[in-house]
Amino acid sequence: MNAGGGMDGIDRGPGAGEIPLLTVEDLTVGFGGGEDGGMSIPLQGVSLRVPRATRMSLVGESGSGKSLTASAVLGLLPEGARVLRGSIRLEGEELIGADERRMRRLRGGRIAIMFQNPRASLNPVHTVGGQIAEVIRVHSGAGRRESRNRAVDLLDQMGIPDARRRASDYVHQYSGGMAQRAVLAMALSCRPDLLIADEPTTGLDATLQQQVLDLVIEQVKARGASLLLITHDIAIARQTCEQIAVMYAGRVMESGPTEEVTAAAANPYTAALLKAFVTVDRGRMYAIPGTVPTLSGPLAECPFADRCEMVGPECRERVPELRRIGGREVACVKA
Amino acid sequence: MPLAIYISRRLAYMLVALFGVSLVTFVVTRVLPGNPAYLIVGAMADESTVAAVVERLGLDQSIYEQYVRYIRQLLSGDLGDSWRTSNPVSVDIGARWPATIELGSTALVLALAWSVPFGILSALRRRSLSDRLANAVSGLGVSIPEFWLGLILLLIFFGTLEWAPAPIGRTLGEVPAHTTGLYTIDAILARDWEAFKAAAAQLILPASTLALVVGAPLLRVTRGFMRETMASHHIRSARALGIPERSIVLRHALPNVLLPVSTMVAIMYGYLLGGTVLVEFVFAWPGIGKYAIDSIAASDSIPVLAAVLLSAITYLFVYLMMDVLHFVIDPRTRT
Ligand SMILES: Nc1ncnc2c1ncn2[C@@H]1O[C@H](COP(=O)(O)OP(=O)(O)O)[C@@H](O)[C@H]1O
Ligand SMILES: [Mg+2]
Repeated sequence: MNAGGGMDGIDRGPGAGEIPLLTVEDLTVGFGGGEDGGMSIPLQGVSLRVPRATRMSLVGESGSGKSLTASAVLGLLPEGARVLRGSIRLEGEELIGADERRMRRLRGGRIAIMFQNPRASLNPVHTVGGQIAEVIRVHSGAGRRESRNRAVDLLDQMGIPDARRRASDYVHQYSGGMAQRAVLAMALSCRPDLLIADEPTTGLDATLQQQVLDLVIEQVKARGASLLLITHDIAIARQTCEQIAVMYAGRVMESGPTEEVTAAAANPYTAALLKAFVTVDRGRMYAIPGTVPTLSGPLAECPFADRCEMVGPECRERVPELRRIGGREVACVKA
Repeated sequence: MPLAIYISRRLAYMLVALFGVSLVTFVVTRVLPGNPAYLIVGAMADESTVAAVVERLGLDQSIYEQYVRYIRQLLSGDLGDSWRTSNPVSVDIGARWPATIELGSTALVLALAWSVPFGILSALRRRSLSDRLANAVSGLGVSIPEFWLGLILLLIFFGTLEWAPAPIGRTLGEVPAHTTGLYTIDAILARDWEAFKAAAAQLILPASTLALVVGAPLLRVTRGFMRETMASHHIRSARALGIPERSIVLRHALPNVLLPVSTMVAIMYGYLLGGTVLVEFVFAWPGIGKYAIDSIAASDSIPVLAAVLLSAITYLFVYLMMDVLHFVIDPRTRT
């Protein structure tokens, strides 16, 4: 499968000519759609580029397709899901349709992921150190002893006190914050070029959230890796990542440098998200009116049209494409 | 020492359970109609002889007094005598229990051999041929009464195909020299292969019947836990970090499945060792179950009481052993 048409203009941003670390183009993923009909298309042409050594956030309301995008990048779509169109490239190398052995080597080796709920992300019957060591062993072929030592070093680097002893502990002996540090150690154990962190701090209490975020950023920076931080919280995106991509209903609505985008949103959806965040910050609730549409077929109009304050007849004519405007890309006919 | 406390608490609980079992069984056997004194002296005996026996056995006392008397007797290590066989019940049981142990243990091994691998396979390949087959066979196993299944197997393999020998007990050949009381084991120890063949041939049909009956719920439980585990967060994480599928199944999922499944195994084994009345009856297998049912038919309540108590003790003991084993191997309880 390859990129559909209409993607012109996308690869002429800052740093043009340099191949981004990760390129997602027109990624369209559907569920079902066999003889029984009943197709849903939760990803409707997602396009993203993560340059090398860059932190990018992927922001959007729950259900907008952030986690599904990450699963597609890893080649681990849930059962029943299919890539209908599009391309995912790691430094120019196509991943869609790549054979399972190559994908397995990429996972953990070049692209690593950490999820929310760190205590559930570790196996209860193996020691924390043993699990990290296994990932090292699988990817580097290092011996048991050496991978074990490297696992202990990693735990130590993540700020786990008394790492050698704690490596022999089980996850039920770890607190949530400690477990997330261990999960980070495991994700970074094979020096991936890209770390995807899917809501890594959701469920941790506020002080821990900050500590874990700081640690993730520090470690990613120190290793010269890129970060794709998935979050529903635009405040977290703002303080951690230099690039932002805003997702809505299976599409990227706007992306670009975080400062630029949050200072003056070019897409009314980004503006609505920011407004919701600012009012929450002042202690009042502002919810974007309406709900995220369920996508039971290809879109025919702007998915945000029904909830948008600036909607006009032209918004109903077709799906707005991502267009480059200055330093960013915007999917809105009014921008 | 938490394990010691744990075990003593469980033992106390066992005592309470046994007290309950003995009370209920005692009352049930004593309110049954018929005067057991006639069993001893014969139906033609004159009234004064009967009255003497009634007095000797305490049958003229209240049921409460009779129960206290029975418990006292039990505590002094006396299980009482069987009126039917005119042996001490402990002698009768000592002669019959090896038959039940041999049958139950063989059935358990056979059940484990088919149900656990099949359960895992069908969980891994949903809606595949092996999943459908597993569904059909386990559906059969849980829905057909065991004596019925035994009769069907007899009809096929003895009646029609004539592959199996007649269902008349433990061996049609020589009884091997007594070491353990398990004929197959004794034959192997004595290197008497003829005796082994004869004993194994008698064993195979009743053991297969029970293996199907006991294996069916084991399969379902295994499949259920395996499906649940394979969908868990830590499996998703391990896979997303490139752990090979073989290790995912064998190292990451299986231990998490075998822990809860082994509890079910203990329950099944406890049930099998207590004597499976119907299958022993169908195959004329001279074990505890057949002893109990023969005694019931003869209104001989003392052996029935003893058999029921023995079943309960075995059941609770096997269950306790498994709990202790879990306590030792499960990291979540160990630390
Ligand atoms: N296993 C699944 N089966 C069917 N639909 C799914 C599944 N996973 C995700 N989806 C669909 O994809 C949409 C996006 O899900 P997700 O990527 O998890 O959202 P987010 O991470 O942004 O909250 C969901 O709203 C749902 O409709
Ligand atoms: Mg998500």
